[in-house]
Amino acid sequence: MLSLDSFKLKTEGMMMHPGLSDNWVSVVLIFMLLIIAWSLVGKPVAYRPRHISLRKLPFIGQALHTMVTRPWVLLLFRFMFVAIFLLVIISGLFGTPIAERNLATTLTWTLWWTGLIIATYFLGSAWCAVCPWDVLATWLVRLRLWRRGSNINSFNLRVPKSIRNIWLASAMFIALTWLELGFGLTVSPYATAILSLVIVILAVLSQVIYERKAFCRYFCSVGRTIGFYASLSPLALRPVDQNICADCKTLECFKGTEDIEPCPTHLVIGRSQQNTFCTSCGACTQSCPYQNVNWAIRKSGAEAIYHVRPSWDESWFILILVALTSFHGITMLPVWEAWISQWAQMIGDSGQLLWSFSSGMFISLMVPIGMFAFIIKLIQFLLSDQELEFKRLFALFGMAFLPLAFAYHLAHNLNHLVRESRGITEVFLNPLGSGTLPLSHHEVHLRHMNPLISQDILFALQAGLMMFGFWFAIRILLQRMDSLAITHSAVNTVIKSGMLVLISGVSLFNLWLLIQPMVMRM
Amino acid sequence: MNSYKIMNKNSFIKTILVLLGVSLSLHALAHHVLGRPSYSLGEDSNTPPSMQVETQIGDYYVTYMAFPAFPKANEPGRVNLYASRIDNGQSFTGKVTFSVMDDSWFSSKIETIGSQMSDDSVFRQGFIISEDGNYIIRAEFESGGEPYIIDFPLRIGEPLPIGPLGVSVAIIFLILISVNVIQRRRLQRMKTGRHHAETE
Repeated sequence: MLSLDSFKLKTEGMMMHPGLSDNWVSVVLIFMLLIIAWSLVGKPVAYRPRHISLRKLPFIGQALHTMVTRPWVLLLFRFMFVAIFLLVIISGLFGTPIAERNLATTLTWTLWWTGLIIATYFLGSAWCAVCPWDVLATWLVRLRLWRRGSNINSFNLRVPKSIRNIWLASAMFIALTWLELGFGLTVSPYATAILSLVIVILAVLSQVIYERKAFCRYFCSVGRTIGFYASLSPLALRPVDQNICADCKTLECFKGTEDIEPCPTHLVIGRSQQNTFCTSCGACTQSCPYQNVNWAIRKSGAEAIYHVRPSWDESWFILILVALTSFHGITMLPVWEAWISQWAQMIGDSGQLLWSFSSGMFISLMVPIGMFAFIIKLIQFLLSDQELEFKRLFALFGMAFLPLAFAYHLAHNLNHLVRESRGITEVFLNPLGSGTLPLSHHEVHLRHMNPLISQDILFALQAGLMMFGFWFAIRILLQRMDSLAITHSAVNTVIKSGMLVLISGVSLFNLWLLIQPMVMRM
Repeated sequence: MNSYKIMNKNSFIKTILVLLGVSLSLHALAHHVLGRPSYSLGEDSNTPPSMQVETQIGDYYVTYMAFPAFPKANEPGRVNLYASRIDNGQSFTGKVTFSVMDDSWFSSKIETIGSQMSDDSVFRQGFIISEDGNYIIRAEFESGGEPYIIDFPLRIGEPLPIGPLGVSVAIIFLILISVNVIQRRRLQRMKTGRHHAETE
């Protein structure tokens, strides 16, 4: 096996999470080489649409059917999550400022923010159905807990064309990352509570001005992240019988009924192959007169490979996701602080070094996007006879990078989750952290060195995720290449090689980040 | 037309560069900063937990510690300040003046609480503050002919969280009530208009 000591950064005297072991890195590298070799000769796998509706399963099918067609189950979950959310705000505003002792910071940043991505793979966009930002805003504006609400508190305007895209969600994602890593939101319970309140106000404002759920559809960066990642999930809301939806003329799922709200994101669930904008809110499952919508198991990643066709702004969002997930890893490298300190001295920055941090973040954002744009420009040049637009190619190939962002995001978050969520029960028992003291160095060390699952399992999962991400990225690439229908084989090889180099580069960089010991956050 | 566009573009870039230059030069004159507090408890420490802020200013790394971490009104507290050069790690040995002020946009009252010489590379300053609230402790020193002004946060007593909560609730209700009133008037106007149309 390879010895990767020369690739690892020095960490004398620092308390760190250990990085991925050499053996697992070797396995990932061999797998990547095999996949690259296959991609050069292989063809995209033909699409066979298949999903199994959970409604048809024995025993649990009927129970699940009752759950999704009756509003009270979802309402119960919504109450529960709103109660927890309010507790987070109260803990943040009234509780101890010691981050690791306050529910606001530990629940939000250690459990929710890290666990959300894991949950998205297994449960699709289910989080959006119980999201307290939207639930609170809906209750306040519609003045109903579950039935179709009043419009008296809303102008119900159509979203203007200029913002009918996800540029604002991208901006919100960048802003949240800046607040999280630059401003230090993760270690401030008070600031965490304020942010939660601000987002509720934004969600209310959106519902007051625009029709349906414009905040979830266009502006919420968490929702859009979940939406794209959910395209890799094996679980989604789908018609039980496709033929019923094909023959349906009334479209209650889209228009709603007297009692049930219309689809908040303008989807006709029975005819849509793409669930990116589905918020799993349950409106379609409850309004369908044939009770024909239910959760279904499908091939993991099939939606991402065959159906998701991101637009220009959505492709940008995916690339920002790729860049910022890697940036998370970069900021937790042992050398990051030294780099920023040196850079701050060069530009005369002081204090929290926000100028230095912001410029570092900007560079981290622009490097992968710039490289991608360069390769797209090259493809456009090579295919000049086909007169393909730059924006179209950018949107077409951007999707291939989604699995890479997802895989690294999950692998990175797993580390946080299993090492930093020890002691979370104590925080639940004393959410405000009343009378608590900060963790001593010894306690911090013990927590981090005793993860919830064994380190070997953690490394195996991380390596598996990196392979999963690379495999799906290549499959999406081959499918997109196929859709271009390039007749000249030399041009085909050049384009494929260019994209392969970039996909491999991003994967190798993320793998390098995983090898490195990581600075503890809390 | 084209030259006009280019001129506009150039002047825009110039404006950005001038603003950037001004902001950087302001940073160089006075290092007025607020740090990000963290709370710690030393393993062998028999002192209460401390609030700690580490920051980088000009040629120095500055560490500020407040004891106890959660000071109360009319009870003695202490701040410790350490400053060491970034290039060679040498401690600052001059004089540091400490002052205190309200952490408020509308208050400009500053009260000097003392000037301290280095004691084993540490500048220690005691304080007693009589009222609960958010304060700024300002440390000032001069090195290499350049003034260093560093602001650190200090909370005395329990915070008053009703502020942000109250503001949020007020904003939400203000939005909802305003929209409700506007919508009701609009519906009333529509109803009246329809009634007039029907009667005519």
